[in-house]
Amino acid sequence: MVPNQTELLADRAHNAVVSMDERGLVRYWNPGAESIFGISASDAIGRPLADLIIPESSRATLNDLLRRFARDDPGPVLDDRLEVAARHRDGSEFPVEMTISALRREGGWTFTAFIQDLSVRRESERQRERLVQELRRALHGSERLLDAIVGSLSDAVTIRSRDHRLLYANPSALAHLGLESLEQLRATSPTDIMAFYDVYGADGSEISMSQIPSVRLLKGEPAEPLLIQAIDRRTGVERWSLLKAAPVLDEAGELEATIMFTEDVSEQKRTERRMEFLAQASELLASSLDYEQTLRNVAQLAVPDVVDWCAVDLFDQDGDRVPVAVAHADPARLKLAEELRAYEPEQLDPEQGLGLVLRTGQPVLYPEITDEMLVAGAVDERHLELLRAVGFCSAAVVPMRIGSRTLGAMTLVTAESGRLLDSLDVELAELIAARAAVAIENARVYSERTMIAHTLQQSLLPQQLPQVPGYELASVYIPAVESTEVGGDFYDVWETGGSWMVTIGDVTGKGVEAAALTSLVRHTMRATAEFVTSPAELLARLDTMLKKQPRKSICTAVCMRLEQDRVTLAIGGHPPPIHISSDGARQVGGFGPLLGAFEGMEWRDAVLDLAPDSKLVIYTDGVTDALGTDGERYGLQRLQATLDRCRELSASEVIETLTGALRQFQVREHVDDTAVLVLRRLASDSHAQQPQEQEHRTQRLVA
Amino acid sequence: MVRPSKFEITQTAAGDGVTLSIEGELDMRTTGQLSERVAEQLDHGATDLTLDLRELAFMDSTGLRLLIDFHDRSREEGWRLKLISPRHEPAALVLRATGADKALPFVDGSEP
Repeated sequence: MVPNQTELLADRAHNAVVSMDERGLVRYWNPGAESIFGISASDAIGRPLADLIIPESSRATLNDLLRRFARDDPGPVLDDRLEVAARHRDGSEFPVEMTISALRREGGWTFTAFIQDLSVRRESERQRERLVQELRRALHGSERLLDAIVGSLSDAVTIRSRDHRLLYANPSALAHLGLESLEQLRATSPTDIMAFYDVYGADGSEISMSQIPSVRLLKGEPAEPLLIQAIDRRTGVERWSLLKAAPVLDEAGELEATIMFTEDVSEQKRTERRMEFLAQASELLASSLDYEQTLRNVAQLAVPDVVDWCAVDLFDQDGDRVPVAVAHADPARLKLAEELRAYEPEQLDPEQGLGLVLRTGQPVLYPEITDEMLVAGAVDERHLELLRAVGFCSAAVVPMRIGSRTLGAMTLVTAESGRLLDSLDVELAELIAARAAVAIENARVYSERTMIAHTLQQSLLPQQLPQVPGYELASVYIPAVESTEVGGDFYDVWETGGSWMVTIGDVTGKGVEAAALTSLVRHTMRATAEFVTSPAELLARLDTMLKKQPRKSICTAVCMRLEQDRVTLAIGGHPPPIHISSDGARQVGGFGPLLGAFEGMEWRDAVLDLAPDSKLVIYTDGVTDALGTDGERYGLQRLQATLDRCRELSASEVIETLTGALRQFQVREHVDDTAVLVLRRLASDSHAQQPQEQEHRTQRLVA
Repeated sequence: MVRPSKFEITQTAAGDGVTLSIEGELDMRTTGQLSERVAEQLDHGATDLTLDLRELAFMDSTGLRLLIDFHDRSREEGWRLKLISPRHEPAALVLRATGADKALPFVDGSEP
């Protein structure tokens, strides 16, 4: 069932596709570009595009354009079209049309230019002019004469008389109209012919008879060329045409008839759609880290304008297929894909389709899928029935590769549209697949890194708060939801030299690096506390240690030494603790400088007496920085008001009240890590009978 | 996603100096913009840069970290950095609470 791959990929492209980097250096050069410009890919790659194909006189235009685009960030499509003079290797100059799409990637911009040689089009315009002249003279002669002039023309040509009847149609026009002969043409009224089609303009509005250029000319109106999309009601075939009309005057100079050329521009239209698809897909792929959803969206973009079916599959470590997306414009048809999947063998066939792509890392194109191929591929009657129901026309499978690894493949299938895929489709699909592969790889590396950082950060928090005699302790750590990176909040409670130390802090910076620094800070504090009793002295030593780090390492911290009925505390650039007593909630301890940041700073110890049942709340700025619905921050005032209502509560109840209040206040999610630790002095007499459960939780505020 | 913070940077030049006036919230979502603007000025050869924080409404720890980095860089690279204190309490509080109000090169707002 598999035709020879090299045959399939034979060069049929007449359009150039080239990619260049931000400096305009060519990174990709397709066979179409080789033939249009007479320059081989190996000669082109690495050289400036402008130097290669643009005559010196207009080189600045392209370079300016690229610079401007790189600076202004205009989105994926730069300009509809750019018409410039181009130069062949032999020095001859010719006009080309360029459509450029831009993609911003790490390290700068990538531009992909799609280039069409306009000289062919220009030549046919000149030819058409000459034809009109000849047709004018021939109008009074025989049909044979008319046929001699335009009979072999691939453009459809029709002549309309002053009474609006169609006098003549060349063979190409007859074929387009689905008519057998000129007799049949003359016997059919123009209105009936028009009724064969649904006709739309470029903007999608319906086109009526009176807007057709040849009809307008007859009415004495000016007739600009008109771009139409005609769908043949009899066959469903869609065609884009450019209609151009010219008047035929008699000897007295009176309008006698009109000649209309119908140029089939379906291919150009299709090219435009393919370029749009490339630009939009590239943008989508660069926009999100949720690659599975993104791949589904990309598949959806391809239908029905580019292909009828688009599927994306990933390969797992064992080379098994993991389907990600199948798209078709008509959801009802998707059932076919589901049913077909049941016929797929456990193992991919290394000789065809996905299996072949996985094995070779090269794209495969099946330009025409014949019924014999379906028969040969079907395992039973029902399978064949399903395959036939899809109505395969052509198919292409392109790999999504990073280096030598094939992560997955994109499958493009045309069916009911009747379009045939060619090597240009394969090239464009390869460009998209390459970007998809980068997106997948980035997302995978990213989620792995995030997971490592999360795990590391969690491991730096005590698994369980220790029992501290005379105190009830409770804490909560809320990791940032949907975090792009992991923050560096930490807290710790430990015993040293007969007294208990409690700290909370925040290492600035994110990710694995922050986690490593957090670990260093915690161990330094624990080690220093062995021989330093003053929290202020401990912070000063920590500051010294941080300044010895090779990279600027900054952290905030509150450090406390607990005694039976009082606490000594020092603050380093951290929000001061809030003391909840019978008088209410208020900040205590004053301010102290950030650790590791500035020269010549000092820290001071503050001593606070703790009455039975009073509480100390220490927290990180994730609490006060939390964002509310109207863009307001939770802030110190709200925090104090909430804690003010907690006078009668236990430490764990304070945590519950505060997390509840935050949950209610916040928009949807936590953008930063948040940690809170509450300690409550137990009434001296309850001391003995309350070896209570120390509360410690890690939770997400938002599910 | 969280609603984007209000954030605006206005640039004025006087003599050899450039002033970037920052309005809104300097947090993890906006530090990138300020960082880019400052880099741009330095690329263009600015040697005397003032960051006017008077209209800064809020600043989180990433914002503070950025100011500290600017200060360090100005000393390493030999350009001048001046800061004008925020009028709004939430931003001013972060500077006071960390000692940054004394350690960073704040000048009198009336004569930047």
